[in-house]
Formats: sequence, structure tokens, C-alpha cells
Amino acid sequence: MFRFLIRISSFLGKELTEIFRQPLLILTLVLGPFLIMSLFGLAYPDQNRALRTTFVTTNPGAFQEGMNLFTEAYSSVFIDQGMETDKELALAKLALNQTDLVIVIPDAPFETIQNNQQAVFQVYHNEVDPFQIGYVQTIANIYVNEVNRQILQTVTEQGQADSGSLQSSLETAIVKTQALRQAMPPGDVNAPQVTELEKDLTNLHENLATFRSLASGVLVNPFSVETSGLSGVQFTVTSFFAPAVIVLLLQHLSITFASLSIVRETRSGIMELFKVAPITAFETMIGKYVSYLFFEIILAGVITALAVWLLKIPILGSWQDYALAVFILLFTSLGVGFLISLISQTDTQAVQYSMLLLLASIFFSGFFLDLRLMREPITALAWSLPATYGIRMLQDIMLRGSSIPSAVFQGIAIIGIVLFLIDWILLRKKMES
Amino acid sequence: MKNNMLAGNVVETQDLTKIFGEEIAVQSLNMQVPRGTIFGFIGPSGCGKTTTVRLLTGFYSPTSGTLSVLGKNPVDFSKSDRRKIGYLIQQFVLYPDLTVWENLNFAASLYGVGLFRWGRLNKLLDFVELAGDKSKLARDLSGGMKRRLSLAATLVHNPELLFLDEPTAGIDPILRRKFWDYFKELQAEGHTLFTTTQYVGEAAYCDLVGVMHGGKLLMIETPDGLRRKAYGGDVVGIRTTEGMNFEHRRQLESLPFVHGKVKVIDEQENDVIVDEANTAIPTLMEWCQAQKLNVETIEEKSPPFDDVFIKIIEMETANV
Repeated sequence: MFRFLIRISSFLGKELTEIFRQPLLILTLVLGPFLIMSLFGLAYPDQNRALRTTFVTTNPGAFQEGMNLFTEAYSSVFIDQGMETDKELALAKLALNQTDLVIVIPDAPFETIQNNQQAVFQVYHNEVDPFQIGYVQTIANIYVNEVNRQILQTVTEQGQADSGSLQSSLETAIVKTQALRQAMPPGDVNAPQVTELEKDLTNLHENLATFRSLASGVLVNPFSVETSGLSGVQFTVTSFFAPAVIVLLLQHLSITFASLSIVRETRSGIMELFKVAPITAFETMIGKYVSYLFFEIILAGVITALAVWLLKIPILGSWQDYALAVFILLFTSLGVGFLISLISQTDTQAVQYSMLLLLASIFFSGFFLDLRLMREPITALAWSLPATYGIRMLQDIMLRGSSIPSAVFQGIAIIGIVLFLIDWILLRKKMES
Repeated sequence: MKNNMLAGNVVETQDLTKIFGEEIAVQSLNMQVPRGTIFGFIGPSGCGKTTTVRLLTGFYSPTSGTLSVLGKNPVDFSKSDRRKIGYLIQQFVLYPDLTVWENLNFAASLYGVGLFRWGRLNKLLDFVELAGDKSKLARDLSGGMKRRLSLAATLVHNPELLFLDEPTAGIDPILRRKFWDYFKELQAEGHTLFTTTQYVGEAAYCDLVGVMHGGKLLMIETPDGLRRKAYGGDVVGIRTTEGMNFEHRRQLESLPFVHGKVKVIDEQENDVIVDEANTAIPTLMEWCQAQKLNVETIEEKSPPFDDVFIKIIEMETANV
């Protein structure tokens, strides 16, 4: 047992010395991700992208005031670049990236509506990114809804104003009906009808009063919505992406370190010495796992501390859960790295595999695309990546304040243990062949 | 041969063969390496020396035949068996980003050497004359220093049997000589050394020499024995003042203890092959006096092992 520990310690000392002999590498590993997260936070302010918008109309005078009011109210979404009367000129500006959006106001919209047809706003953009196209469509809907709302509000306000004279007429009618009822002799057969008429007029008057008393804005938009998250915390873009960035980074570091480890030793020839020396594949594997885990846990601790204290990324859940999640992520990622190292023939091949895994993790782990949007068979690929489990665990712990999701934890733990066993068997074969 | 060779063989092989696909790397190798000897395995590059070492260390399994190293088949070595052998690999395989001391420490841990090992490590560094360079990174060492560090790493667990695969390859003659001094010291401490080399001249430092060619072990002999086998006896050089004529040479060749033709080196000097130099020299002196030849020098010659080796290869090729 004592010799077992000594043999394992050979790797601990060797790997750590080799890593710590490269202070620039350590500095890059610690500060690099922290700087990336900081820059990411600075690069993406927590607000929507405002679109430079050019309006096209054949009758600028008729719409100028309305457009000014509108763009002022929605200045966070629209930047008014004025009105054009020539649609082709506006589209040319769009093609030259001098404007982001061209909204063509329909000619004679009121006549079109009066003819029982919808007046159509044509919205042009020059986006290619599907997300930006979706954003433009959302903005276009906001725009047309707002126009519809404004028209309805104007019509309502007009109706409220017009109903003032109607209300006076009703009051006169009610007074006259009362007088008529009082003038009728008792037992007149028409008395009930007059009473009924008076009641109807009174109801109508009250409804009209209510209509007039309500704000036109409430009448047009009677319902609104308020959303709030369970955690009660307002997350910034940086906060949201921080857990995923930490996970991707730790996974990538683990895989890269481990993937180069054995392939280098195989190529340098020292594996020949391991095969002849009294060290087993199991001891070698344990030694390497312990060395890299030791270093990466320290690294993860420093990155987390910087993220929490300097970038103010919250950890709403427990620190123990966070530590456990990071540990199992590192353990499983090392398993992936050693597997790459054992099947690669050269350093270059190992680096290529690691990069492919990083790419796969960016696209399939839920880093920026929600896993719930993914088609069913592809989710199997997603759930074969340690990063998918890591992001899910860290988002739950850090942002939702939940405890470690047990099914997710069990999933990644099983993958990690299976990978360890596969790596051990492959290394044993390598050392025995 | 030393007396301690009598203490048994540490390596024995019987028809040991290793085949890679279509290529026969080692063919029907039979040999015994006595304990306490320096056994030199000599042959040109690619003749199967390294494959043999790998078979003996358990790195490869034999295709056929049997082998025993320290009484066991290396493939079945336990951890304690492995601690008894040291293996110096042909190329430098230690870590370039670790210092001399750290590399040595790593090798010690790999072999499970106890934690209180500083004394031994320092002693080894003294032995290979790297004590002043222990803080140097391995990548900054010269080729010779790297070989010395590798040797120290091989000795770190004090193995009783050392396999040294071309330990002197690529280093200068002075350092090569120093390495053989180390090996002699190790032998004196009781270690058995099995070393390969392509420097044929190094055969002279070995107790026994195995000559390998084309995957076959041509012979195992002492260095002197090798010479005798190559030339059919001892070589005696005779230098006379007057020089020998054709008749002298014909008579010399007809002497019963002289083999083959007299080799003319120059007008005054001739070489002859005799059964035994020590007994032949006085007789040759008498013969010269009888022939009125004034002898300037007469002595046994030691032909360079390069020539010996080439002769042996030529003989074997001719036999085939």
C-alpha cells in the first residue's frame, strides 16, 4: 500500500511541477476566462439592440408627427433615421448598411381600412443571422401593434369626446321620460313601458358615463403582463452565461491536459519504461487523475472566486453542491481527455479531437441554444457531453438556487466512472501490448 | 571470466523467436548470461538487439521459444521481480521540463523507492557526475549529460540486473570510455549488465560478447575468443631488418602451428596466424634466427574489433 502511494505520487509531483513551471500558462488559465467573462459582460449590455429605422411614405407630412412620437416612445428599439419618399433609395441605404430597417407606410391606409381591408406595412431588413431575423420580426410586430394601438386609442378618444353630446341628449331624454311617466294617469296601460324605457335610458347613460370615464389607454389595452422568476434575482447577460462559460472552460482544460498526457508519453518512449517498471496501468491512471484533479480544482476555485467577487456572479445554491458539481465535471472531462489520449497517435490528432469536442459542446450543450429546442435524437449527443450536465447543474445551483439535480448528477457520474474503466482497460492493453 | 559468473545464469533463452508480421526480428536465439558479468550484445543497427532486450524485459512476448530472466519468464514478472531489473532505453525518455533532480525523483517514485531517498539520489548523481547540475532542466542538458541522467534513473532502485540498450550511442569517445568505467564499477558492486552496442570496439570491455546479425545470434565468446574465431588463431606480427622473401614466407606457412597464408604488411613486416601466441613466439624467434633474419619486434597483435566483426560476418555469410 505504501509503495502504491509512492508510485501514484510520482505522477502528482511530475504533472504539477511541469504545469507550475509555466507561470504564464497558469496566469492565462486563471485570468483568461475571467477577462473573457468581463469583456463579454461589457460587450453585451443588458438591453435590446436598437435598429436604425428609415420610414418610407409618399406623404411625409401626414405621418411625421405620429412617427416622431412613436420613435421617441420606443427609442430603445428604434433609432429614427427620418422619412424617405423614395422606397428604392431607402432600400439602397439598407443594402449599404446605412440603415437597419426600412418600414414602408402603406399609401392611403384609411381608405384601405374603410374598404374593409388591412393596410400592410412592408418591413425590409438585411439580416442573415436567424436570431436577428427573428428579432426584426418581433420588432416589426411590436411596431404594427403599436400603430394599431395608437389608431384604436385615437378612435376611442374621439368616441369618448363625441359621446359627450350623446350623454347630454340621454340626460334630456331621461328627464322627459320621467315627466311623461309622472304625467300619466294612474292605471294607464302604457305606464310599465314608459318605466321600462326610463330604466333603459338610465342604464345607457351610466354605461356611457363609464365609457367616458375610462382612460383610452386602458380601454384599448385592458390587459398587461408582469413576469417574475422564482429566484427573484434579475440576471444580467454575464450572470446567465457565467455558469456555462465556467463549465466549458473547465471541460476544455481537463480534456486538453489529459488528451496530451498519455499520447506524449507514448511518443516520447517513456511508456516503454512504465511497462518494464513495477507500476500498473491502474496506478498510472489513478496517479494521473489525482494530479490533474488537484490542479484543476485549485484552478476552478480561483476562477469561481474571481467570478463571484469581482464579476458579482451569484451562487444562490449551496457551495457544497457547487463543489460537488465541479468535481464530477472535472472527473468526467478528464475521462474524455484520457480516452482521446489513448486513441490518438499524435499530439496534433489529440488537439484536433479536443477542439471538435469543444465545438460540439458549444453547439449541443445548451451553451447558447436551449436544449428544449433540440430535436429528440440529437439530444442523445447532447447528453453524452460532460458540459451539458455541467451547465445544467451549475445553472440550477448558481442561478436558480436549487440543490444539485440528482438525475443529472447520476448521469454524469455514471459516464465518468465508465470512462475511467475504459481508460484503465485501454492503458492496460497499451502497457501489455 | 570472473569467479562470480559461476553463481548461475541470470538470463537463459532457448530458441527465442520474435516475429512481427512477415519480419523475423529475432530468430532461435539461445544464450546464457552468467550472474555478475558484463554481457555485450553487438551488431549493426536493426539486427534485433533492441527487440531482444525488449523480450528480456517483458516489453514484448516471444512468438516462440522460452526465456528465463532471474528465474522467471519476464511476461509473468511480479512487481518485486520488476524492481530487480533496471532498463536504460535507447533514446532519452525522461521529461525535458523537469530538472535532473526531479527526473531522478520521478524515477525513484515509479519504482516505489522509499521517501528517505535523498542520500541515494545524491550518491547516484555523484556517481554519474551530475551533482552540480541537479537544478538544471533536462532539456538544457547536453546529449552526454542526458545519457548519464538516464543511467542514474536506471540505477535509482539498485537493480541487480541491468539492461542497457545502446548506452553509449551518439556520445563522444571520452564519455563512452567513462561510461564503461561506470559499468565496471557497477559490475564490481555485484550488478549484472546486459548491454547492447553498435560500437564493435566496445566488445573489449565485456566479459562475454554475443554477435548478432540479421536477427540471429552468430556466436557468444569472450573478446579474445572472438578474435581467435575470426582469424582462426592468434595474430603474431614479425618485423625483421632485412625483410622476408618468398621462400621465407613459404617455409613459414609450412610450420605446423601456423595457419593460412602469411600476410604481408610491408617489406619488413609480416603477420602470421598461430594456434597460441604465447607458445608460438619463442619458436618463431628460433626459426628467424635459423633463417638469419634479424628480428626487430615480434609480438601478439590485437586486431581492432571492427575488423574482427567484419571477418565474423563474412565467415557466417560464406557459411550460409
